[in-house]
Amino acid sequence: MPAASRETDIYRRDAKLDHTLLTPAEREKLIEPYLPEPPLKPSSRRRKNGKLAGIPTDGRGHSRLGVRKFLKHHLHLLVYTIIHAVFSIYIRFRQAYHGVKDRILAILYYHHRTPELIQKDVKGLSRLPKHLSIILTLQDGGRGGAGLEALVDEVAEIAAWCACTGIPMLSVYEKTGILKGYIPATHRAISRKLSSYFGPEHPAVLLRAPHMPSIESAAGTPVNGTPAPSPAVKNLNILLLSAEDGRDSLVDLTKTLAEMSQRSKLSSKDISADLVDAEISESVMGEPDLLVLFGPTVELSGYPPWQVRLTEIFHVQDNQDVGYQVFLRALYNYANAQMRFGR
Amino acid sequence: MSSMHLSQLRKWMLASPPVEWGIHRLRELLIGALRQGPIPQHVAFVMDGNRRFARSHKIETVEGHNLGFEALARILEVCYKSGVKVVTVYAFSIENFKRSKYEVDALMEMAKIKLSQLSQHGELLDRYGASVRVLGQRDLVKPDVLKAIDKAVELTRNNGDCILNICFPYTSRDEITMAIAGTVEDYSKPISTQARPFSQTRITQKIQSRNLSTSPLRSNSPTPSSTSDVDDSVSSTTTLHAESPMGGQEGAIYPDPETITADTIEQHLLTAGDPPLDLLIRTSGVKRLSDFLLWQCHENTEVVFLDCLWPEFDLWQFLPVLVEWQWRQKHIEEKGLGSGLKKPKTKIR
Repeated sequence: MPAASRETDIYRRDAKLDHTLLTPAEREKLIEPYLPEPPLKPSSRRRKNGKLAGIPTDGRGHSRLGVRKFLKHHLHLLVYTIIHAVFSIYIRFRQAYHGVKDRILAILYYHHRTPELIQKDVKGLSRLPKHLSIILTLQDGGRGGAGLEALVDEVAEIAAWCACTGIPMLSVYEKTGILKGYIPATHRAISRKLSSYFGPEHPAVLLRAPHMPSIESAAGTPVNGTPAPSPAVKNLNILLLSAEDGRDSLVDLTKTLAEMSQRSKLSSKDISADLVDAEISESVMGEPDLLVLFGPTVELSGYPPWQVRLTEIFHVQDNQDVGYQVFLRALYNYANAQMRFGR
Repeated sequence: MSSMHLSQLRKWMLASPPVEWGIHRLRELLIGALRQGPIPQHVAFVMDGNRRFARSHKIETVEGHNLGFEALARILEVCYKSGVKVVTVYAFSIENFKRSKYEVDALMEMAKIKLSQLSQHGELLDRYGASVRVLGQRDLVKPDVLKAIDKAVELTRNNGDCILNICFPYTSRDEITMAIAGTVEDYSKPISTQARPFSQTRITQKIQSRNLSTSPLRSNSPTPSSTSDVDDSVSSTTTLHAESPMGGQEGAIYPDPETITADTIEQHLLTAGDPPLDLLIRTSGVKRLSDFLLWQCHENTEVVFLDCLWPEFDLWQFLPVLVEWQWRQKHIEEKGLGSGLKKPKTKIR
């Protein structure tokens, strides 16, 4: 595309008449000065080398070209270095700015483990996700229990926030799937966290992972006399996902379908998006409404591909940790609402 | 009033030859500089915001799409000059057929004209080794547009240096479904068995007779179910099939469905053969994938959501994204050298 306005003008006039104004040759001439040098084809390069070997006196012209190329390369290298030097300073500042901002927000919006405060935070929102999904990462690569413990605690925290705000379904994606091996322990941690938020009258939790038996707990019974805070949801569904619920579930489905087709129970023409969708949402989960990433960039790292079709993806730039303010900002963003400072 | 004059002055300034020349040089310099670092091999764009741009600038929707096309051309220039191999753009979703007929027709017409115009410059495309591919549901396209598509695709089929994938009537779910169906179809084709001079029935009979005479228990010993492709009704021969799955006595033999992997499905996708997606950019501030390259972008792809509208998208918006990507890539590389886990991206000189 010509950057120059005169050429752009001509191009637009041509385009308006459905490209009947100019002939192809004229058009090529128009963009001629903006074309990059054509990449050297192996054949042409060989020809050049041959000529060079044949006529050594031609070397002067070539060397000047070589010098120009050399200088150009070094100029580019210099600019590249400058850009990256400036950028790394910029990104430090940006990270610092975001770090401070996140810290301030975290102080302004602290939940104090009080469901009323959390409920007040989300009271004005026009809509809430029915199904919230989060991506967590295991920190120390699974070695030692610290990473796992932190992960379980994060899941429990977020589960409690969901129970407070009234989100009935939470799916937790963690790539390695380590949590799936500790379902009872995770369930215990969540129950403990919920009772620390709600007291005795905490909501029931159903924790499950695809293709695994689920663990269910009854809701806490209200104690007569004391006015306990009531949770916004009575039942909280939590689903643990890992990398094997992503592409692998589609692969497994393909295997099953191929087997059926080999036994002529099904023809490949019967396979439709609806069929796949029904099977996938049956065996793994449906589409989440909101996906919250707690990492610095949007990287899905193996998240189930079929389900993220229309999901809102939220992340906070340069954010590293799992914080309540990120959760809250995601909900505000989902409801298209402005965050106001102070409550 | 004064602001209008200022913008006029600015426009005039930008259009003056020396400034224009300077900007052009600067662009070239920046692109040349970008080439010195790692460059994503495969970049995808969701060209969102043409309509909103038209609305906010009080021009016709179709005009907005035209400006969007110009933005695409600008970005393609940046991409290919800086060394990106494959660019995939989301031009038209299957869902977009629900828009007004007027707009759909205008978009189709635009695609037809631009593609047929492209076909007129075959030589130019050959010089740069550029090829165009159109991914999507062909059945939904009108025949005249389809003809233009086929012509452009056919013309550039043999060029492989840089590829432009235009997703036109496309949704990712549709693509994945087609890939699954394609895989299933492949696996329901019987393997042709060549005739060998040994008769399998005779061997089976011999083994059976010997098994019966030595240990009657062995003939119905359980076998691994990995060869579930054979009909279970012939139970007496299952012992043999564990060792020779090529036996072809009870009709057709199929490839083992257990050998289907993610790669098998990937080869049936429309983007088969392209390098893995490194960067996906969506403009206009909508933070959704909207059924675009779901399978391709869910692994290590960096997804970037930008607030600017697509017709405004240019090198100046793209540059920070690319520089940040390079910066992150260098960090991954450093970390990878430390732990020796992640492999660094290939450097382009």
